Amino acid sequence: MFESPTLQTLTDYNIWIALPAIALAFGTMFLLVIDVFLPANRKHWTPILALVGIGISFLINLFTYNPEQTSTFGGMFVADAFTGFLNIVVLITAFISVLLSTDYLRRTETNHGEYYILLLLSATGAMFMVGANDLIVIFIGLELLSIPLYILSAFRVTYTDDRDATFVLKSEESGMKYFILGAFSSAFLVYGSALLFGATGTTNLREIFAAVGPILESSAENSGALLLLIGAALSLVGLGFKIAAVPFHMWTPDVYEGAPTPITAYMSVAAKVGGFAALFRLMIVGLSGLTLDAGVDPAAWQGTIQVIAAVTLILGNFVALSQTNIKRMLAYSSIAHAGYILMAVAAVGSAGLVPDIANTAAQAGLVYLLAYAFTNLGAFAVVLALENNDGTGTELSDFNGLYNSRPMLALAMALFMFSLTGIPLTAGFMGKWLVFSAAVQAGLIPLTIIGVLTSVISAFYYVRVIVNMFLLTEDEGSPAVGETAPVRYAVYASMAGVLIVGIAVPLVTNLVNMVSLV
Amino acid sequence: MDFVVPTEFFFVLSLVLFVLGALGVLLRKNAILVFMSVELMLNSANLALVAFARQWNSLNGHIFVFFVMTVAAAEVAVGLALIVAIFKSKRSINIDDLHQMEG
Amino acid sequence: MIQFDFSTIAFFVFAVLTLGGALGVVTNRNLFRGTIWLMVSLFGVAGLYVLLSAPFLAAVQVLVYIGAIAILFTFAVMLTRSLTRLNVRYTRLWPSALGAVLLFAMLVIGVIWPVFGGNELYNQPISDVVRTTTDLGVALVSGEGYVLPFEVASILLTGAMIGAIVIARDADEEEMEQ
Repeated sequence: MFESPTLQTLTDYNIWIALPAIALAFGTMFLLVIDVFLPANRKHWTPILALVGIGISFLINLFTYNPEQTSTFGGMFVADAFTGFLNIVVLITAFISVLLSTDYLRRTETNHGEYYILLLLSATGAMFMVGANDLIVIFIGLELLSIPLYILSAFRVTYTDDRDATFVLKSEESGMKYFILGAFSSAFLVYGSALLFGATGTTNLREIFAAVGPILESSAENSGALLLLIGAALSLVGLGFKIAAVPFHMWTPDVYEGAPTPITAYMSVAAKVGGFAALFRLMIVGLSGLTLDAGVDPAAWQGTIQVIAAVTLILGNFVALSQTNIKRMLAYSSIAHAGYILMAVAAVGSAGLVPDIANTAAQAGLVYLLAYAFTNLGAFAVVLALENNDGTGTELSDFNGLYNSRPMLALAMALFMFSLTGIPLTAGFMGKWLVFSAAVQAGLIPLTIIGVLTSVISAFYYVRVIVNMFLLTEDEGSPAVGETAPVRYAVYASMAGVLIVGIAVPLVTNLVNMVSLV
Repeated sequence: MDFVVPTEFFFVLSLVLFVLGALGVLLRKNAILVFMSVELMLNSANLALVAFARQWNSLNGHIFVFFVMTVAAAEVAVGLALIVAIFKSKRSINIDDLHQMEG
Repeated sequence: MIQFDFSTIAFFVFAVLTLGGALGVVTNRNLFRGTIWLMVSLFGVAGLYVLLSAPFLAAVQVLVYIGAIAILFTFAVMLTRSLTRLNVRYTRLWPSALGAVLLFAMLVIGVIWPVFGGNELYNQPISDVVRTTTDLGVALVSGEGYVLPFEVASILLTGAMIGAIVIARDADEEEMEQ
């Protein structure tokens, strides 16, 4: 295959389809050099340039948004509507996170240019991951997504003299826990990939799909299928850590609480987008044909994912009920939301039985991710506005009487809480509606019932925040030191996103209907 | 034809190594030892990949190993920096001492 | 079935090194000895790569894993020097052991059984093609090959380097610069 290479130029390889990700990577490297030469009194240009880089990548992504699936680099990277749509989600997330970061870094005295470089590198990793069509690219994209996040979680320790302060210790611990469990989970992902490679002889997802059929036919006792199943299971463990599905969720609350709030906002969305993109691709493109009895049984991994989804929904929502810290509550809520998106992944398992379910479920998952991105970023933006420099001010009681002191923030938070619950006319409702209907189409009735019931339960803790803000009063209002112009823009942008996705439904469905992975 | 050690041998070896590594991660208290155990797990995956690559006469496995090593190097740099930073503030890298946050 | 020729003996020697080193890492009381055990285990894996016709990877294993990663571990142990004597070795002994046993059982049932159970895939003759450095080098930079992960990996290393420096540097060093 590689014995006699003929000299070709890069343009022969169609690399322009990976241009959004390449542009962001290039911009990041450019920013790295620029940041060094910026004089100390011009450092505020770094976030602005980062925003420009994200914007350029966003524009390139819009112009190259092409529903036709094209691949490059020997089929390792594909660009289709799935890639384009998730690129949009990742870039919006990065944009809002940078907006949230500028003043936060300044007031917490961690304003170093490396922060933005690492944030953009992580976004680049997520973008390579959503277009990955090969186990190697999935792995390396995942690592590029994760390794900067380990550092960013611990970012409050950078250049500090104040090593005994609680917020420094918490941030350090957050980075450490994320790192240890992240490395542990990557080992599972690599071993799972090794088994898939061992069973099929290839790391390309399309070739794995082609190899699965003959393996199922040739081995009398389905022993090859078992190898594939265990490989899929170990990969699922690895990705399960990243998306924070139960029982691989234990790092989530501590990491979310200890990390700097803009990073919590960013990783609660970006890590999930990357993880779910890989999961959808692996399960639809690679392993959707892995059934023990084709045409009669659903995919063999469907049962496992259903159980994981159900446990994630129940545990995430119930534990969130008892939380008193808003960051921990949103951490458990993000675990619960992983469960809803896993319902869409489980629905994909019926691909061999119900026509077109794989695409319907993938589309539902994508809309859910977009809705979740806007809502969660907005909620964390409000949390950040109320947080003090030493990390306090994130208790639920700190929201008491917010409507009296900061009506705009209270209204915004109420909207985000409604969206997380899934009240109609918000983005969250759209996401839940599509995911539930995909699950029903796939015949997963018990799982859908669990999903609906846990949504009702989730209303309790989301509405409690609203009650605190509007009905309770406090002697002195929150100082809201973080409510500066960029944070306000971030809140407005998230509100606009939540309302647009929730009300202007055709806009999103037109984009997402082009998604076809099969 | 010369006898070649069959793939299964390498594979079973990698399996035992993987479980030993996982055991180390779950069992040890010291962050450096936990991290060393993760390296053992990555090595077991590499071993399985190379063994399968020989079985299938495919280059993919070798390339995958190459990237796993690269990533391992990056992870080690970041991880040990974090461990040393934690040690500076807490004078301990016992993972059971990481309990600033409860709940 | 097994002939005890040179390669089989070499396999068992390296296997003992690998697993013995791994056991040393998991059970030792002295952190510094742990890094030595890790080197032993990594060296065993390098030997196995030679047996698997992957000489380049064996060399990289020695250079990167033993020469860089294990040495970094040694540095970390020295920087946290109070910890060479560990009084408490284990945490969560029983749950962890149970988890590992379950994992092992799953892998044995799911993997060893099919591999030994007459899977046709593994009855094919094993290729004796030695993958040379040239093969890997061409594959890594070929546009039809792995140039994309190669570039992403280089970005990743840059990021890791920046990150490690940011985390490890002290406040006073920055002030000295200014």
